[in-house]
Order: sequence, then C-alpha cells, then structure tokens
Amino acid sequence: MASTFSFELIVKSDRCFRLGRIICLRNKERKVMSTPNFLAYTVRGSVPHLTPDNLREISVEALEIPLENFLEIQPPPSSLYPHGAHKFFNFENLLLFFDIRDPGELKQVSFNTDKFVSVFTLHGVCKITSDTYVKYINSYNPDAVISLADMTTFQKTPGLKRIKKSVNRTLDWLDYALENIKEGIQIFGALVGHNNHEERIRSAHETANRNVAGFLLNGLDLGTTSRERLDLLKISISNLPDDKPRIAYGFENPVDILRGIFEGIDIFDGSYPSKKTEEGNALIFTLENEELINDDDTGKSLLLYLHDEKYKTDFRPLLSSCKCYACRNHTRAYIHHLLKTREMLATVLLMR
Amino acid sequence: MKSALTWEIVAQCSRTKARVAKLKLPHGVVDTPVFMPVGTQGTLKGLTVKQLEDLDCQIMLNNTYHLGLRPGKEVLEEIGGAHEFQNWKRNLLTVRRFQMVSLLKLACITERGVEFQSPHDGSKMLLTPEHSISLQNSIGADIIMQLDDVVSSLTTGPRVEEAMFRSIRWLDRCIVAHKKSESQNLFAIIQGGLDLNLRRKCIEEMVKRDTPGYAIGGLSGGEEKDIFWRIVNLCTDLLPKTKPIYCMGVGYTEDLIVCSALGVDMYDCVFPTRTARFGNALTSKGTLNLKTSKFSQDFRPIEEDCDCLTCKTFTRAYIHIHSTRETVGCHLITIHNVSYQLRLMRNIRQAIIDNRFPLFIIQSFKDLFGSVDKYPKWAVNALNGVNINLTSENENT
Repeated sequence: MASTFSFELIVKSDRCFRLGRIICLRNKERKVMSTPNFLAYTVRGSVPHLTPDNLREISVEALEIPLENFLEIQPPPSSLYPHGAHKFFNFENLLLFFDIRDPGELKQVSFNTDKFVSVFTLHGVCKITSDTYVKYINSYNPDAVISLADMTTFQKTPGLKRIKKSVNRTLDWLDYALENIKEGIQIFGALVGHNNHEERIRSAHETANRNVAGFLLNGLDLGTTSRERLDLLKISISNLPDDKPRIAYGFENPVDILRGIFEGIDIFDGSYPSKKTEEGNALIFTLENEELINDDDTGKSLLLYLHDEKYKTDFRPLLSSCKCYACRNHTRAYIHHLLKTREMLATVLLMR
Repeated sequence: MKSALTWEIVAQCSRTKARVAKLKLPHGVVDTPVFMPVGTQGTLKGLTVKQLEDLDCQIMLNNTYHLGLRPGKEVLEEIGGAHEFQNWKRNLLTVRRFQMVSLLKLACITERGVEFQSPHDGSKMLLTPEHSISLQNSIGADIIMQLDDVVSSLTTGPRVEEAMFRSIRWLDRCIVAHKKSESQNLFAIIQGGLDLNLRRKCIEEMVKRDTPGYAIGGLSGGEEKDIFWRIVNLCTDLLPKTKPIYCMGVGYTEDLIVCSALGVDMYDCVFPTRTARFGNALTSKGTLNLKTSKFSQDFRPIEEDCDCLTCKTFTRAYIHIHSTRETVGCHLITIHNVSYQLRLMRNIRQAIIDNRFPLFIIQSFKDLFGSVDKYPKWAVNALNGVNINLTSENENT
C-alpha cells in the first residue's frame, strides 16, 4: 500500500523558527498537520475528560498515545482489535503518534538495560524489550512512532559513561525499529545525550544519518530550568537537517513554547493544558496580550485559578475573545461553582 | 390556582391506564410519559448542555436544597436564575431530595419547617415552606415542588398521618408564598405513606387546592414493591385525569413500564447517572458492568441498536479501559444511560400512540428478564391490575 509522509517548510526565518506542514498519505487518506503545533495529550487512549463530540470542536490535528498506559495486561487487549488504533480509539481522521512513555510526566521507575526499557503501568513497573515494542506498535498501526529512548531518569547526574551508553542503546533500538516496524508507520528518532555536548551532537548526527521521518527532543530528563533545558536541546537542533519535523517534550507554559518555536521546534506535547485543568486553572494567554508575556518562568499570570472565591459572581466568560464551547456558553462563576461542588463538568469545560 | 402549563392528552392506551400527552411548559414542550435526568447541582454529571440537547432531553431536574447552598440564592438572583446560570434553555424542575437518604437524619421537623444541619459546615438551617418557595422562585424552574413533610416509607403509626396533614397545611403556605405562578408551576406532593386511606384523604384535600400538577411522594424508599404499585395505582385512579402526575424517584426500566401502564406521566431518578459512575451500562437486556475484565476484548458496542454517541463510536473494550479510571469512560456511559432512558420513554410513547402498548410491555419483560419465572411478582400483579397478563400472554407472542 502506497504511503508517503512529507514535511514541507512553508516559511523559514533567518533565525531558526519556521512554519511548515506534515502531509501524510496513507490508505488513500490524506492527513495534514500544520506546524508549529501540538500533539494532543491522551491518557488511556482519550484526551482527558473529552468525549469525541467535545474533542471535535477543538482543532486537534494529531494526538499522541503513550503505550505505557496499556501495558498492565500483555498483549494489551486493545492491540488485538483487528482494525487498528485509529478506529479503536476513534481518531480516524487524525494523525496518531505512539510513544512508550507518558510525555506529561516521566515517572522515575527503574533502570533500563541493553535489552529493555522500564515503564510504569497500573500494575507497577514493567520491562519492555524493543521487539515487544515493535510487535505492539505494528498491531496498533499508528501513523508514526517514536523509537525507544534510554532516558537516564534513574540517575540525576549521569556520568559520561552512562550518557554514552544511553546514546548507543537508543541508536541500537532505533536500528531495530527501522528494520522491523512495518511499512507505513513513520519512525521518529529520539535524541539523547543528556548534558554532554559531544554526546548530544553525536546522537543528533547519528540519528539524522538514518532513515527517520523526524526527531524527538525529550527535555524531561534534563532536570534543569526551562532555559537551561532549551540550551541543551539547542545543541541537538543545530545538528539536525532542516527538512524533517522536530517534536519536543517538556515545554510547559505558552511563553516557554514560544521560546521553543523560536529555536526551531515544530511540535510540542500537549500535556500542559491537561495539568492546568486538573488544578482548576484556565489558560488565558493570547498573542495580542503582550503584557502577559513579560512574566517569570512559572507562567502563573497566564492563568485564571477558578477555585478562587472572587469568581463566585464573575459572570464573564473565561476569555472574552475566545470562541471555544466553554467561553461561548458558560461563565467563570458557573465553572467556579462546578469546581466547588466537585462536578465533573468543570474539567470538561476547562479542557476545551 | 393559576398555572403556567398546558396539558394535552394525545393518545390513550385502550387497555391500560397509560397515556401520551404534550406538556407545554415555559421552556418548551415535554412529551410524556417522560423520564427527567437529575442534574443535582446545576449540571448533569459531566455532560454539557449541548450533549443533553443532542439527546433530545426536554426537561432536567435540579435540587433546590443543593443550589440553595451552592452557588446560593444571591448568586442565582444576580444572574437571573438556574437556567441562565447553567445555560440550559429547556425546562427545569426543582426538587428537594434529601428526605429518604442520609440527610433526613440531620433534619428535625416542626410545624414551622424543616431544621437541618448543613453537611458542609454543620451550621443549622431552617427551611420553611415560605423559604422553599422563595428559593425556588429565585432558581426559576418551570416546575417547582411544595415543601412536604416526608417520613420514610417504612415508618408506621401516627407519624405518617401527622406528616400527611402537615403536608396539606404546608401546601397552603406554599401557595400563598408562591410569587411567580405565571411562569412557574407549583406541584403538590401526595403523602400518606403506605396507607391507602391516608392517601385518599391527602388526594381529596390537595385536589381541592387545584395545583397545576401532582406528585406522588413518600415512595421508593425501600418499601415492598407490591405495596408501592398499589399506592401508585390508587393515586392515578383518584387524581384528576386533566393534570400531569409525577412519581418521584422512579427510574428502573420495569418500574417505568409498569408505572406508565398505571397512568403516571413523569419520573426522575439518579440511578442511571449514578450507576454509570460505577461502570454500569443499561441495556434492554439488563445491566452490563463494563469494569469486569470479560469486556476487555469485547469489540461490540454497548447496545447494537442504540444510536447514542457512545454506541456509534466505541466498543465495550474501549469503555472497559476507561471505566471508573478516566472521566471520559464515565461520560460515555452516562451519555448511553441517559440516552437509554429517553429512548425507553420514546418507545413507550410510540407504543401507546400505535395502540400496541400491551405487546410492548410483554416484549420488554421478555428481553429484560429472559423467562417468566424471573419476572418480579409485583410487576406481574400490577400489570394484572391494568388488564395485562404477563405470564399467559407471553406464550402467545
């Protein structure tokens, strides 16, 4: 079955940032993802709190499913569904990415070895070898998969030897995936190298030399501030070719994401809105509102904390310029009430 | 008394007491018999108003007592009522449901009203008939309920009689206190426990007050079902045929079918939405507990012939992954269960209109219970009372 996956750069600035799009042709179906963009965050195969009719109202073009959500039973029953993940999870017209770990939270679990990656499931830690990973991915049949990475989460400050090992293992697993992932599923190479410049460069070069569709920059195990983290990722980015998309994890608030875009990142993980929803926070950042951008790193002023009693009689929408369902239909006072009464509609509305 | 509704009977079953009517309320027409989903705190358990509209829900319940505590009367008055507050453009009915459950333990009832402790901060509150109506006037629901003196349906002795007579006196106070009879319909609540004579007396007095509709209260509290249906049957016999009759707290499939055959027009129950949160999906063949692992590889929808969003989109295996762990699983089952209840009522209405309601009842019981020996005795007795013989007719169909 003919399938193509291409990345077009529409605008490239003198600096690093760029405007582009991914076009995926598969089984006669054409899916487009404009970049910069985000991969909608999912937990156990759904965007938290959103039923499909609610999800449809948001302009989601691509989603990411962490396989570790399903590994408490092996093989995961959902992977046995004969018509693939798109149909099972009802994401048929969307680009579907799979990864092993949850991009929202890299739980420290256990060590990895040459043979397996440790992941976190409902029933505890579980070891996944690269052939198991490939087997499950092949049955889910997503549009793209991120190859296994040997993250150094278990050690806060890994030594050079460990970092080198991490780069080597990650490349070995990538090679295995490139050989064994079935045709039609695009493979994104994970870049590692922790805080070692030479190893970051080596990881980037070696991955770029292989036949990957794009790259993943995972900032989650770089336990530093968001600026330091970006500086490390920049080393990888500057050693990547222009013509392939770059995904990054671990960018939180909108200002952080703008900085990432500025350095040439195309796609971000979408876990931030979900985290803010759980806290009862509404995102109110707009590009027009420049005064909000001059902010500290926490991004607190970009949020409305709706548990606050001051919203009890605030009958304005969350954000007056916003056209989403929640802003069109409901007031801050109502969402405050829903949070106070612990009603589930609160998170439904905040998620949109 | 003045009413803000019209009631037009569209069809009448030729054998049972069932009827189909159009109940016109200030926020649109309600087709009866109707099941009203319960949105206790001004929201129906995770569903958006759009989803409820998509399900063609014409009327929803809110709880007077809960809305009075949060967001409170002042907030509701400032925004202009509960319709505005939750952006619900269709009909609302407000009830004060804390009687049967644990809250009754916190209550102390005198002639003035009900004094109870707030479950949130423990403070004492006095709810009089006047307060209750004033609060319901602020909430602004299309149908409001009188404050009644409720005793558990298991109570016996003089307390039942006292509560019945007090409910009549409180109805009078409610009628006087009601300030918006041109836009809100006050329903009386028939009390009298499980005593047919007390029920008769209560109906006699309350019908004199000529409220826009009547509710049968004080049931669904764990009483014998064989007594339950006799009370309902008596009430529908004695209440005027020209007004809607609402049986409070009823929501199981077989109860809805039987009570509709007895002539009840309106129902509410938290069961379909509550049970959804425990992973239970309702079907015409009984309940599926989607948490159980036998559904992990079941790639069928909850119900093949259901046209709800959940059944059109997802398999049981998908919902199994989510049930009780992610709110989406709960939302999907809630959508299905509300859809199931509304579809059941639609089917009941259509069967009455087509004059095939008796056959519908027989088929439904067959689907639900499988074999005659599993039919609940009380339902067989109740239907016998309205000329349906479940056990013998089953063989002929």
